[in-house]
Parts: sequence; C-alpha cells; structure tokens
Amino acid sequence: MLRRQFLKNSLGAASAVALSGCGSRESRVQLTFGSYADPGVDILKDEFLPEFEKATGIATEWVEADFSGWFQKALNDGETKAGAFDIYVMDDLWVPRFAGAGYLANLEELGFQPDPDFLPTAIDLGYWPPKTGPRQPGVDPAAKPTLFSLPIVSDVQILFYRRDVFGNTPPVAWEDIARVAREHSNPAQRKFGWVTRGVRGNPIMNSFFVLLHDFGGTEFDEQWRVTFNSPQAIEALEFYLSLLPYEPEGVAEFDSDQEGETLLQGNALAATIWTGWCRQTDDPSRSRVVNKIGFAVPPGHEKRVAKLGLFMAGVAASAPHKKEAAEFLKWFSRSDVQVRFARAGGIPFKTSAFKDEQARSNSRWLDAILDAMTVGVPSPRTSDWSKVEDILGTHLNLALLDKGKAKQHLDAASAEATAFLKSVGYYAS
Amino acid sequence: MRAKRLSWALIAPTALFALAMTVLPLGYSLLTSFQEFPLGRAPVFVGLQNYRNLLQDNNFQNSLITTLIFTVAATAVEFVLGLGLALLLKDEFPFQGVIRSSLIIPMVIAPVVVGIIWRLLYNADVGLFSFLVQTLTGKSLSVLSNTSLALPALILVDIWEWTPFMFLILLAGIQSLPTEPFEAARVDGASAWNIFVHLTLPMLRPVIAVAVLIRALDAFTVFDQVFVLTQGGPGTATEVATLMIYKTAFRFSQFGYGAAMAVALLLLVACFSTAVTRAFKGAS
Repeated sequence: MLRRQFLKNSLGAASAVALSGCGSRESRVQLTFGSYADPGVDILKDEFLPEFEKATGIATEWVEADFSGWFQKALNDGETKAGAFDIYVMDDLWVPRFAGAGYLANLEELGFQPDPDFLPTAIDLGYWPPKTGPRQPGVDPAAKPTLFSLPIVSDVQILFYRRDVFGNTPPVAWEDIARVAREHSNPAQRKFGWVTRGVRGNPIMNSFFVLLHDFGGTEFDEQWRVTFNSPQAIEALEFYLSLLPYEPEGVAEFDSDQEGETLLQGNALAATIWTGWCRQTDDPSRSRVVNKIGFAVPPGHEKRVAKLGLFMAGVAASAPHKKEAAEFLKWFSRSDVQVRFARAGGIPFKTSAFKDEQARSNSRWLDAILDAMTVGVPSPRTSDWSKVEDILGTHLNLALLDKGKAKQHLDAASAEATAFLKSVGYYAS
Repeated sequence: MRAKRLSWALIAPTALFALAMTVLPLGYSLLTSFQEFPLGRAPVFVGLQNYRNLLQDNNFQNSLITTLIFTVAATAVEFVLGLGLALLLKDEFPFQGVIRSSLIIPMVIAPVVVGIIWRLLYNADVGLFSFLVQTLTGKSLSVLSNTSLALPALILVDIWEWTPFMFLILLAGIQSLPTEPFEAARVDGASAWNIFVHLTLPMLRPVIAVAVLIRALDAFTVFDQVFVLTQGGPGTATEVATLMIYKTAFRFSQFGYGAAMAVALLLLVACFSTAVTRAFKGAS
C-alpha cells in the first residue's frame, strides 16, 4: 500500500515538474547576449538587464569572454549561423565585418527607427554600407546605408590632464602639452609630462590616430589610396616622437592598463585615454589624484578631433529570438532609460542623457565626453582596417623604438599596406 | 577469418574517432587553404594563389625564422640544463622528493600565468631585471621593448617553464639504464667523463630523441607566452608563426591565407621532426 502510494505521488510530482517546465519555456524567452569583458558594460549588465527582465518578463543571459576570444566566438557563430547568441556586443570596428558578411539582422526590418536624440556620430557607426566615405570593394556603390547595429555604450578617447598643473582651463593645442611636459617632467622623480600606448598594432594606432587627424592627415583618400605617409602624417609622427623624452621608459610596451595606471598613480600629467578610466580617477582606492584630473576634448593642431570607439550591439542574423532582441534594443535606447543609465554612471549615447543635470553632477566628465563625441572620428569603415592597422601599428612601434625616422617608417608602412590592399582587390589593375 | 573481422570491428570505433579528430580537420584546413572568403559572399576557389602569396610574404618568412630560432635555442638549452639536473639529482639524497617536486612547479603553471609573472619581472619600472640593471648601471632596462632582448627574453621564459619536463624524462631514462656496464667501466678505471660520453649518452639516445622531439614540436607551436608578453613586438622581433596565423585567420578574417600558413608550418614541423629522428637514428 505504502509503495503504491509512493509511486503514485512520485509520478504525480514528476508530471507536475515536467509540465511546469514546458510551461515556463513557452512563457519565458531567454535572450542570450555575447560580449567581451569590459568594465564599460558593467552597469548595463548588472543594473539594466535585471530592470529589463522586470519590465518585460524576458529573461536574459550574459556570456562574456576576453576581447579576442569573444571576437572569435562571435565570428564562428555568425559564419556558421549557429544561433547561440541573440545579441552580439561589438567593438564599432567589427560592424563592417559583421554587417558586410551578413551576420547581423536588419534593424529597420525589425521595426527600429532611430530618433533625433541619438548622437549622430554614434548612430552613424551602426549603418552598413557607411553613410559617408568610400566603400570597400565588393560593396554595392548604390546600396542604401542600412541600420544593422546600435550604440550600447559610448566611448571615445578624451584628454585627461592634471588641473593642479595645467589650471582649470584645459590645453587646447598640442604645443601646450609639449610646453608643460618640457617644463614639468622629472624622470628621476618619476614625473612625466605625457604618457602614451606604444604596443604595436591597435594600441599605438589608437594613440597616434588623434594626432594624425589633428595635424591634417588621414589614412586613405576617396579611392582607398594610402595617405598615412603624407607630409601632415610625418609631422604628426615627429610630434608624437618629440614627446618621448617626457614619457616613462618602456612606453613601447605600454598598453592602456599601464597608461591609465601611470596617470592614476600621479606620475603623468596628461594622456588621451578611453572614458572607461574616468570614474577610477576619483576613486580613492584606485587613484592618488582624486579630483585633480580634468577632462576635455584632445588638443588640436590644424583641427581638433577625438577617436571614437563605441560598444555596439546588433541582433544576430541567426538569433533564435530576434523580436525580443529588437525589443531590448528599443527599450535600452529609449531616452528615459538612457537618462537613468547616465545617472547610474553609464556613458549614454543620447543627447538628452548627456544634458541631464543629475547625470552631469554624478559624472563630472560627461560634458567633455559629449564634446568629444561631437567631434569624434571613427576608424576607417572597411573590414580590412584591422590588417592595415596592424601594419601601420607595427611601423609606428618601430619608429618609437628608433626614436625617429618618421618618414622612413611611414613610407614602409604605406608600401606594405598598399601591397596588401592591392592583393585584396582595392585597386583596379 | 572471423577472428580477423572481430579485430577490425574492435579497432573500428577508435580508428573512426581518430579519423574524425585528426584527419578531417586537417583535410578541411587543406581545403580552406585553396579558398578565399570575400566579404558577404560564398568562398571562392583560388587554387594555389594563397601559397604563391606565401612565397612573397616576407613577414611570414621572418616569422618562420623567428619560430625556428626560438625552437632550436629553447630546446637546446632545456636539454643541456635538463640533462645536467638529471645527472645531478639521479642518486638518493636527503629531501630528494621535496627538491624534485619543487623543480617541476614551473611546468604545472598555466602558460598565460607564466606570461603574466614574467611580464612583471621584465617590467621597466617594477621588474627584477630592470632593478638589477639599474643598481649596476643607474639606468632602467625595458627588456620587452628592446628588439635585441625581446626574443631571448621569451626563450628564457620557455626555458624556465619547460626545463623540468626535460629533467623528468631524462631522469626516468637514466634511472632505467642497466647498472652492470657502468660498474664494469668503473672496475676498468674509466673516468666519469668517459663513462658519460661513451656509456650514458649512447644508452640514453632513444630517450633523448623522444624528449627533444616532444619539446621541439611544442616549442614550434608556442603562442600563449608570446601573446601575453609581447604580442609579437617590438616591431616584429618576436612574431612567431602561430601568432601570425592566429591574427591572419581570426583578426583579419583571411581564413584561406591563414590556413595556407598553417599548412606551411605543418610541413616545416614535419621536415624538422623527420630530420631530428633521422639524426638520432643515424648516430645510433
């Protein structure tokens, strides 16, 4: 009797569990986000995904890896159409590759229309083919730019400078940086006027990018001919190298972590750094220069620009839950959500959020970021930029080690990049 | 006949598994190396074009030379040190277990962690090497941003991590040698050096061949330490072939060209291992 009762109860319980499982699967969709690990997305991940879940009843899962590891995973998922992810979080550099190869769903077809509150420089990065500039070979010259991804966190390189040295007015010209570096550097006391990233490839290229554009140089002309060995580019590199005596020994192996730490430890007077470091400057557990750092658009020469490097989000073409993924993007880009995101310490991508009084008083760097975003310039919009950046970044690193020979290294980089671009079909015969 | 069928049936699962795990990926890589992957379009068959490009690619050829230098230097030093340690520690002595165990610690640390440890040691500001040089000369030293020192610095890391492996294999080999020939030589008055050159080394040759081959093949595919410590820099001073293949395929999305590089590296490794095996066979 007892055994029969036990079996009956067990069967009943098992059926109930199985049925409730089926029910929950049907009613509760789970969105899977794939991302690279970065403190820049922490507020979104930790505070806003739970809020989205509560507001919509859609569950979320956040899968992350290191930058290279996630790029590889996302590439595999896109190429094989595996459907392991609903939303790809991407560096804006990846958009040409992912949108061009068909890994991303068309957001306009999913019912997304950007409103005028989006920062133009931010939303433009989500279009493919690009709205402006030349189009890479194989891309239809007549194709209409289509929205494939949205900014999810703004990021741009801004000038971090010591207010106790420069005063409250930020330096506006590169010559100001050089003058203060000359006057205040004292390597024996580990006091340096400037600090930069020197690791070959992307890190040094990120440091040089602003100077290249400020001095009137560019990477390519309208026909994709390489122009980074122009007289303006050479002058920019010579200026970059002229700051070396006022920098720590071994900057050729500095990446953003060493660059940021040098500033936070009070050893450097200025640097152009990604905005992810802003909050740490006022954190006494991380910084020896609390409230001493000012923020501004990087200085200029012929013009004044900043390097964009946004976190973008796109719906995977193979996503199992496209509708819900688009719903998340619509929700997160609502202006009221963006204002709350900015108040919580996130870097928004809508003008109204940047101008919110409470957000501005919580994060004193927001004004500088908005100014920098407004004059922001992205990396060239081609899926082959990573390779060209590697070539140029390697020769910049060599110039740094040689402490000179700017023209020689830029000519060599130009020749190598031209040969590469020719081999992948950029120049007709 | 029935027994033969049964033996085939028993071997089949393992053989199929081995085929799926080794031959298929290799075959797919080979197929990929004859293709190009244009943005947004289906792969295109390009014949030997990727291989022709390889022949003109100075950067790839330099990376092969760097890999070869790294492999030969690291394996040679690891062998000499490993053999020396094995000879030194082959006999019974107090705290033998503790000393032998502590010697193999570097080998069990994850390569990425090894890379981080040495990145700190080589750091110009807080690193041990820079401190020593500064104490002696008054100037700091940035090892990893020096084109002449970066590759030797990577080789040193590999030696630190993998000498224990050589030591373990050679120690096991030495301890398994028969004792009679050594006793006879000593009775005949042979010196320690003569015993080492004419008995230990020749008898140990098969073990040395295996140890050198395993280490060399592993050194050919070094990646983690280079990725963490130098990213192939300064300039291209430490750009080994695996790093270049990784970047070409996964960062620059040139899958076909990256696969051609991988096939070229595979051929080089195969030639190298054949040469090493023949050298040891010829000598014996």
